[in-house]
Amino acid sequence: MLKIIIPTIMLLPLTWWSKPSMLWINTTSYSFLISIITLFSLHNHNDATHNFSTLFFTDQLSTPLLILTSWLLPLMLIASQNHMSKETVVRKKLFISMLVTLQVSLIMTFSAAELMFFYILFEATLIPTLIIITRWGNQTERLNAGVYFLFYTLVGSLPLLVALMVKRNQLGSLNIMLLMFNSPPLNPSLTNQLMWLACMMAFMVKMPLYGLHLWLPKAHVEAPIAGSMVLAAILLKLGGYGMMRLTIILNPTSIDMAYPFILLSLWGMVMTSSICLRQTDLKSLIAYSSVSHMALVIAAIMIQTPWSFMGATALMMAHGLTSSLLFCLANTNYERIHSRTMLLARGLQSILPLMATWWLLASLTNLALPPSINFIGELYIIISSFSWSNFSIILTGINMLVTALYTLYMLIMTQRGSMSHHMKTLLPTFTRESTLMTLHLIPLILLTMNPKFIMGHLY
Amino acid sequence: MFRRVLQLGLGPGRLTRGLGTRRGSFTLDWEAQVLEVKKKLRSILPGEPLELHDTSHLPPEHSDVVIVGGGILGLSVAFWLKKLEKKRDAIRVLVVEQDHTYSKASTGLSVGGIWQQFSLPENIQLSLFSINFLRNINVCAEHLAVVDAPPVDLKFNPAGYLVLASEKDAASLENKVRVQRQEGAKICLMSAEQLQNKFPWINTEGVALASYGMEDEGWFDPWSLLHGLRRKVQSMGVLFCQGEVTRFITSSSHMETSSREEVILKRIHEVHVKMDNSLEYQPVECAVVINAAGAWSGQIAELAGIGNGPPGTLQGTKLPVEPRKRYVYLWHCPQGPGLEAPLVADTSGVYFRREGLGSNYLGGCSPTEEEEPDPANLEVDHDFFQKKVLPHLAQRVPAFETLKCLMHPQVHSAWAGYYDYNTFDQNGVVGPHPLVVNMYFATGFSGHGLQHAPGIGRAVAEMVLQGGFETINMSPFLFSRFYLGEKLQDYNIL
Repeated sequence: MLKIIIPTIMLLPLTWWSKPSMLWINTTSYSFLISIITLFSLHNHNDATHNFSTLFFTDQLSTPLLILTSWLLPLMLIASQNHMSKETVVRKKLFISMLVTLQVSLIMTFSAAELMFFYILFEATLIPTLIIITRWGNQTERLNAGVYFLFYTLVGSLPLLVALMVKRNQLGSLNIMLLMFNSPPLNPSLTNQLMWLACMMAFMVKMPLYGLHLWLPKAHVEAPIAGSMVLAAILLKLGGYGMMRLTIILNPTSIDMAYPFILLSLWGMVMTSSICLRQTDLKSLIAYSSVSHMALVIAAIMIQTPWSFMGATALMMAHGLTSSLLFCLANTNYERIHSRTMLLARGLQSILPLMATWWLLASLTNLALPPSINFIGELYIIISSFSWSNFSIILTGINMLVTALYTLYMLIMTQRGSMSHHMKTLLPTFTRESTLMTLHLIPLILLTMNPKFIMGHLY
Repeated sequence: MFRRVLQLGLGPGRLTRGLGTRRGSFTLDWEAQVLEVKKKLRSILPGEPLELHDTSHLPPEHSDVVIVGGGILGLSVAFWLKKLEKKRDAIRVLVVEQDHTYSKASTGLSVGGIWQQFSLPENIQLSLFSINFLRNINVCAEHLAVVDAPPVDLKFNPAGYLVLASEKDAASLENKVRVQRQEGAKICLMSAEQLQNKFPWINTEGVALASYGMEDEGWFDPWSLLHGLRRKVQSMGVLFCQGEVTRFITSSSHMETSSREEVILKRIHEVHVKMDNSLEYQPVECAVVINAAGAWSGQIAELAGIGNGPPGTLQGTKLPVEPRKRYVYLWHCPQGPGLEAPLVADTSGVYFRREGLGSNYLGGCSPTEEEEPDPANLEVDHDFFQKKVLPHLAQRVPAFETLKCLMHPQVHSAWAGYYDYNTFDQNGVVGPHPLVVNMYFATGFSGHGLQHAPGIGRAVAEMVLQGGFETINMSPFLFSRFYLGEKLQDYNIL
């Protein structure tokens, strides 16, 4: 693991000692190189994990997330170049340092072998994200957004700290590989149910679960593009990843305790999809769509069958790429018109046809068109939830329909229709922006060909 | 630490200062600094009001549409933008008004007339739409009805508008009335005898033909309309700010037209709004700017760089709107025309109408080009009334002769207001500027902006939201006519 972590840490001196003209080039190219190294951990015989040391390990669950994290850093840097161009050099370097620090914490989080280590880094990711949102966001509301984001996550995760310490005392070690073999059953009693809640709430807030999702639209909308990308693509998946790791020690309490959360997430999935239909702000629409997709993932993780875990990991990966792609597209709009209102940015297909292609592909993957990995993930989850309860197919079916509705609504509002006069002379698409979109789409398309990499550890 | 690394450098020989000092950032007033930090910390704690930096008087940092000018045209555009947005709160609108007392705004100082007797069909349609709007102004959820607020009382006097024409103008008047009737206005033509029968107090000498609106014409109270609109627009979620627009931050891009000519297109990114009596300003990031600044539209256009270029080119075409001062005089005449007096426009250009129920009349006249008063202030010139207005008034309405006889003038009061006068063709400018792509105009109506305001507001809102004029086709009013030299000639402007 050090072969990834040390180069990422060394990106910090790289940013501070680069010449200002070479700043973005250096950081982007070196972070691309680092992402290639992460691909090596994909190579897995049978079900064994790669145990790098007592602290770091990767298995088929964490490897795709690790690769996604390291792939996303250069993409974030490419996306931020335009809106950071007017800042002073020191500010730019500070921004990149924040992104790199966040990256280091995320890499270590996904490869953590011990739950306590995982928890510390899970909390550590909050600080750089908070700084990115509140310092470089666009509106005054970003202060409110930062506060919501920080305190929702902190309050959710404090019980987790207590629970982990109790568990360590009980079990002697919180090493994930050991936990797979020596965790005693958690019999349903009030204490154990509270323990279950304490463990799960942090990740529920992070995912987010429908009732605890208020921080997400605020944080996503107010964050700068790099912040939105990392939030949507990775930080939400931290919740899913954590839940999958912790379910090992929480059975059989999970069988009863999971019930309300599955219901809440199935219902929340339909609700947030419907809210998307009424949104006027483009970024807000994409944020609510994230909540909707993640609600499916929560439901899948709570159901805890092999198929649902496969669907959950596939959907997490697919949603990471798709959501980040949609935010990048919304940002290209914002940079040209300086407004996120969809009403003012219509009919773009006639003036920016290449960008319309990316919009089309992003919308198609977002509405889970077969054979994309979004579809595979959603299909697996829907099948497993149907087997959990026949009635859930009604809700998941409605959700698929409404997802298609709002995605197409977003596509048609922004691309089709008549243009206003002030839109006719927008700057054409930059190569940088098209590169950004292709770098999101190529993994999506390649994974469509061979999805077994993202199916997780129960494949 | 990084800064020190940067300053000290890495190579030998760059150690120009010791490690213990810092450049200039240390003041020796340690106590005061500690107290400041303590104050800041205390204000962040919950329960204390955040007094760090009170920005409640400043406009927001971001707004989708910024409307420069909060008079009747600006408010009308804001109203229609909010009305035509398909979902609630879809579009954020900010209205920036320099003076919330509206002391110099043309709206409040206006005579308030509304008539359909124009020669351009678009103007007639605008007036017809406006009178319909004003008639239904309190219909619930349609126009200006606000929950729990008293209805808007416009004090509309439907007394009509009477235009008098001499021999040489009679033929053109007939043509104009034909166009007006085609558009749906109800105008009747009267000969001199019929005029004398209908209005016995008129001296019909020199009048060959008169046209009189039977319906939808008269005058109303512009203040009530302004305040009703303001209230409604605030209830729809438009933000107001008192300040002056001092700067536009723009970005240019060079493009080529299809005939290989180079054009420089500008886009406004930010509007700097400066607060009154202070140097504080707030940059407002915006997508669209609407210039509804009335008499000051020309200055706003110059701030955006319209007209910077060699004259005769599109870049060099300025917005030809400038403030022109017009006087309105109010006098008392018990033997005057009485309650039936319409808004009368004489052949000489003098107009007057009844004001209230106590035999008061108000009126004025547009001065000729040579006699234009200085628009620097709103001082009233009473001699103008005696020399230019009164002779024609007295000739047309013999009852007003009494005003001449006394040593001191019988004028009760007088005021002056600005016309946002379009020096090109005295008709308004509506729509986007061809080069500054996100600035839309709604100005230059030279004295009939008030009566056309609802229609103009809707036209501009349609242009912004839907990309074209949907209901009334205002394309003859676009900015490009100044460059192409196509004048829109309309009626004798009051």
